[in-house]
Amino acid sequence: MSRPKRMTKAIIVGHKSVLKETINALHDSNLLHIEDFIEDESGFKISKPFQNAEDVSKKLVKIRSISNYLGIEQTRQSVQKADSVLRELDTKLNQLDRTISEKSETISKYEADLKDLETQKKDLLPFLSINLDFDYYRGYENLKVFAGSIKGNLEEGQISSITQAYELYFDPQAKTIVLFVDKKDANKVQELLQSLEFRELRVPERGGIPSDLLRTTEQREAETSRKIESLKAEVESLKTQYKDFLLASDEVLSIENQKAELPLRIATSKNAFIIEGWTTSEKYDTLVNTVNDATSGRAYVTSIEVEEEDEEHIPVEYNNSKAAEPMQEIMELYARPKYSEIDPTSIIFITFPLIYGMILGDIGYAIILGAMALAIKSIVKSEAVKPLMNILLYCQISTFIFGIIYGEFLGFPLASVHAEGETVPGLLPFWNTINLFPGLAGEEVTFPVHRAHMVMTMIAISVFVGLIHLNLGYILGFINISKHHGLKHAVLEKGSWMTIELGVLVAALGYFGIISALTYVGVAILILGIVMLTIGEGIKGPIELPSLMGNALSYARIIAVGLSSIYIASTVNDIAFKMIWADHSKIGIAAIGAIIIFILGHALNTALSIIAPGLHSLRLQYVEFFGKFYEGGGRKFNPFGYIRKYTEE
Amino acid sequence: MADIGTLTTLMGDAGLKAIGAGLAIAGTGLASGWAEKDIGSAAIGAMAENEALFGKGLILTVIPETIVIFGLVVALLIK
Repeated sequence: MSRPKRMTKAIIVGHKSVLKETINALHDSNLLHIEDFIEDESGFKISKPFQNAEDVSKKLVKIRSISNYLGIEQTRQSVQKADSVLRELDTKLNQLDRTISEKSETISKYEADLKDLETQKKDLLPFLSINLDFDYYRGYENLKVFAGSIKGNLEEGQISSITQAYELYFDPQAKTIVLFVDKKDANKVQELLQSLEFRELRVPERGGIPSDLLRTTEQREAETSRKIESLKAEVESLKTQYKDFLLASDEVLSIENQKAELPLRIATSKNAFIIEGWTTSEKYDTLVNTVNDATSGRAYVTSIEVEEEDEEHIPVEYNNSKAAEPMQEIMELYARPKYSEIDPTSIIFITFPLIYGMILGDIGYAIILGAMALAIKSIVKSEAVKPLMNILLYCQISTFIFGIIYGEFLGFPLASVHAEGETVPGLLPFWNTINLFPGLAGEEVTFPVHRAHMVMTMIAISVFVGLIHLNLGYILGFINISKHHGLKHAVLEKGSWMTIELGVLVAALGYFGIISALTYVGVAILILGIVMLTIGEGIKGPIELPSLMGNALSYARIIAVGLSSIYIASTVNDIAFKMIWADHSKIGIAAIGAIIIFILGHALNTALSIIAPGLHSLRLQYVEFFGKFYEGGGRKFNPFGYIRKYTEE
Repeated sequence: MADIGTLTTLMGDAGLKAIGAGLAIAGTGLASGWAEKDIGSAAIGAMAENEALFGKGLILTVIPETIVIFGLVVALLIK
């Protein structure tokens, strides 16, 4: 149980002549979360960005557009010296920009050419089988040329009935027609053609035989595509050549840009500046020293008291042990805690894997998923994946432990099972189930716990675990409220719920036990609890009473989801083994099918084993547990600075 | 057609219990699904606007799951 890191509000005041040094020092130290200044009536104004800001952002835009064009991905690279990157930046960037714009222009020119050639080719195709030079199509005084396509068939007789002075070329496949007629007969011929739905085709302007033209066009097309390919390959080689440079210079310029634009976020007067922000209390002294060293004491750093109503707005930095850190991802998914709240990360660190393990509880799946988590962790180097795999790993440790308690391996019972007077041996012949004590509804509590044979007892245990979890939530809520609104409110709002639970427990003991007087005592406590709740939360308190039962019963999902996983696994095992023993003598197709079913079935159940227990365990944390105390909604502590990946000072 | 009395004698206790348990699961399962479909689609819509709402959307979507858990408890009690 921890709280977010304590924060100190720091104010830095100085003369504008040391602003640059101060900003550099702050940026390098990465300690101060700067609050943006909002102009008010105090007379302070936000300042202008540094002179180099415009230049820097221009270059940054250029670099990013080039990176985008080349498709540069952020991967781990060798680290370069920041100042050497800066020194070479201008010449290298200009050179790269020139090369790339040249190449991309040429590529787009070639691509336009390619399109042109494509159209030319399309125009040529209909005339292909009428192998007539295109120069013959034009330049006549007394001849009319019809070149186009028609629907249906054209008989020579149809034309000769109109005129004798004609020359017809017809390609019955492509339905292309080229017809030369005397100009004076043109109108009649046109009417005939229109009845055949004649559509004129564009005659290519270049002269030459169509098949020759097509050949040259295709040659040129191939040539142009080859040129484009080679240019693209050159661009690709530029990518590998300049990748380091682009990533490093992007980083260097981003840093410069952040520094240059900081004056827009701080208060300045004619000669002075004020920077306001938050730093972790433990690092406050370091901050003071850094600023003093950088400005030789000419900027003044001081801390100021935080008023209680301001606490809501303090940025939040987690304060967890290294082991519990991955769980912060689960918190982030819901909401970052507020500064004034208890940060439940370290509790989730225990309860999330615990409930996950209780649900899954299988040695086989624990080993498979644990190995998977380890493998992914070592193969994928991404920072985003690592915490998730760690969470999965924690869950598998808990699953393994519960797997031993339940005695399950991929849905097989490891120990022998006594059911209906028979004893069925388990996977491990030497492991005998021991009866411990009678459970609920005539069931026997055994070791290992055979969940499928003691459902009622397991429901009761699940709900009992739930009650503990819920009450932990109430206790945390009690602490939160008593810190902010006093003990009285805490007792009325959260204590009342625990009183109600106590009342129900005592009354139940009395009702089912021997001492009937306890029933009345229980009811009295229950009524006291309800009265307290009504005072504490108003009328909505008693209305929400049934939700307590709902919340507690919701934990029955621990056994419910667990059982569904067991049943899937044992069904797969049943089918597979029945198929293997189907023909006793030889290993046939049935055996191969059995193996496939076994592998596929368990692969499916392994995937389900991440989703189902994970989601249900998560829900129990978010809905049932957090609902009792957690508000969330804190701002992220985001110090002014940059985590360098590709460069160093 | 046989009347209900004959049917009951035909089926016997175990059968009726099984049908009852089945009804409990079926009804509550449908109810959960029905409730979740509206919340789920709304949650996806919200997530399209702002991905940070994934956590809250998930929580809201799974709230009606409790209904089917109640059904399961009832079914197990009938057994």
